[in-house]
Amino acid sequence: MQNVWVLAAVWVGLALIATLIAIWFKISTALSEIVVGTVAQLVIGAFLAKVNLGARTEWISFLAGTGAIVLTFLAGAELDPTIFRAKWKEATLVGLVGFFGPFLGCTAIAHFVLHWGMRQSWLAGVALSTTSVAVVYAVMLELGFNVTDFGKAILAACFINDLGTVIALGLIFSPFTVRTVIFVVVSVVVFAVLPFLTPRFFKKYGGRVSELEAKYILLLLFAMGGLAAWAGSEAVLPAYIIGMVLAGTVGKDHILIRRLRTLTFGLLTPFYFIRAGSFVSVPALAAAPLIFVVLFFAKMISKVVGLLPTVYAFKYQRNETLYYTLMMSTGLTFGTISALFGLNHQIISEAQYSFLVATVIGSAVVPTMIANAFFMPRHLLHKEVQSKEPNPQLATSPN
Amino acid sequence: MVGRRHSVFKQILVGFDGSEQSRKAANTAISLAHCLDAKVLVLAVARPPEPATSVELEAVLDNAKEHFEAAFVPLRESAKNAEVEMETDIAVGHPAEQIIHRAEQSKMDLIVLGCRGTSTFHRWILGSVSEKVLRYAHCPVMVLR
Repeated sequence: MQNVWVLAAVWVGLALIATLIAIWFKISTALSEIVVGTVAQLVIGAFLAKVNLGARTEWISFLAGTGAIVLTFLAGAELDPTIFRAKWKEATLVGLVGFFGPFLGCTAIAHFVLHWGMRQSWLAGVALSTTSVAVVYAVMLELGFNVTDFGKAILAACFINDLGTVIALGLIFSPFTVRTVIFVVVSVVVFAVLPFLTPRFFKKYGGRVSELEAKYILLLLFAMGGLAAWAGSEAVLPAYIIGMVLAGTVGKDHILIRRLRTLTFGLLTPFYFIRAGSFVSVPALAAAPLIFVVLFFAKMISKVVGLLPTVYAFKYQRNETLYYTLMMSTGLTFGTISALFGLNHQIISEAQYSFLVATVIGSAVVPTMIANAFFMPRHLLHKEVQSKEPNPQLATSPN
Repeated sequence: MVGRRHSVFKQILVGFDGSEQSRKAANTAISLAHCLDAKVLVLAVARPPEPATSVELEAVLDNAKEHFEAAFVPLRESAKNAEVEMETDIAVGHPAEQIIHRAEQSKMDLIVLGCRGTSTFHRWILGSVSEKVLRYAHCPVMVLR
């Protein structure tokens, strides 16, 4: 019993260190936690020989897995259904291109250039096909494009891109049996019923200290996650779609979302990202750095080649097209989830996992730096943004 | 009165982050506006983590909005007492760029900033907001220590 608390103290201590690093250097907590997990395992492994962080301990795996599921649900719930309904054609086209381009490109590179097996290559394709909704959204808020038609379409496209990633992750590696059919049928019924059932249930029984809403959401996520696992699929798949179908109801309940965020960031995701980082083998990365370089450029080039003409068709300024294409080449959260799925299901080795996570991190950091350094549409800083409306997220308050 | 009518500074932008120095800058700007019959725009900038990640970005923005709205309250009181017309706004992005952009867009005559003491390491890694604004702003910049 004592060891459980000592282990918990170590992990929460690492989470605290990661949070401080994120605050000091203004980086995302997820990135900080992955790096801290990697360094912690390296240091512990170096000085304490066979001792490790206990990342495969059952309760840590459970907390980490729950973190991934709830985080994915919250990510899906960020979708704005009205924007999606208005821009679904452009969003679907750009999103699918953004997914299939790197998915097929990275799979081909992994298989034919790096000589990975077929399943490993598919996994690499999935992990490197992601796009960060958050990065694109942050950039759009900065430039005021989140209120333009173009911006809304691109944001919705990012959701489609990630939906492609999650569906591919959930279906490519699952054995197609009767269980898969049952899972799909039950999922479709649940997704159809939830938007009607949930708000009525909350209205009748919610708004109490007992946090019925949070328990309901967790029950849904655990039950559908369990069904997905039973069918050989991945629990984050139903979690993301549940988030999307409830985006118009639960997603608008800021109090509930804040409580779930507190639970997620305060307890769950640190276990997830630190655990993900602890499996990264620095010696493996150091032994063959070229693999990381190949995968990194595979992702960047396949995204740019696929997205650039598509995005350009909707927008006229070259600089902005390049900027947004580079922004859509990032993808930290779902990339890590995909890579860890591959490791947990023994689809990829620890070394391959390390290369994929390093590429995912690199793809989150490097394009942002390049875009900001060379392609930031600075001309916008010298003239007014046309048709800029007040940002509805952040109000102007007159005295 | 003649000086007030022909004042060069009619619109003053204050970069605000809730720190003591930025509150000092805001109060200085309000005093200046009172003397010059100018308007004040207090601009706070919510800086997303880099790279921005799912869910965390929304959480950061929500927290920033709450934090800044609470910090604006005493400033509004000061402006009201000084009979100065003051607006507040919250932008998202890199603080220096947002301040410069807003100053240009809204044709500000003066930018007032607090100078936050940062270590050499932080200045090297993150840069100094006041230094960037000083370098790229289209109008005069006042930095208060």
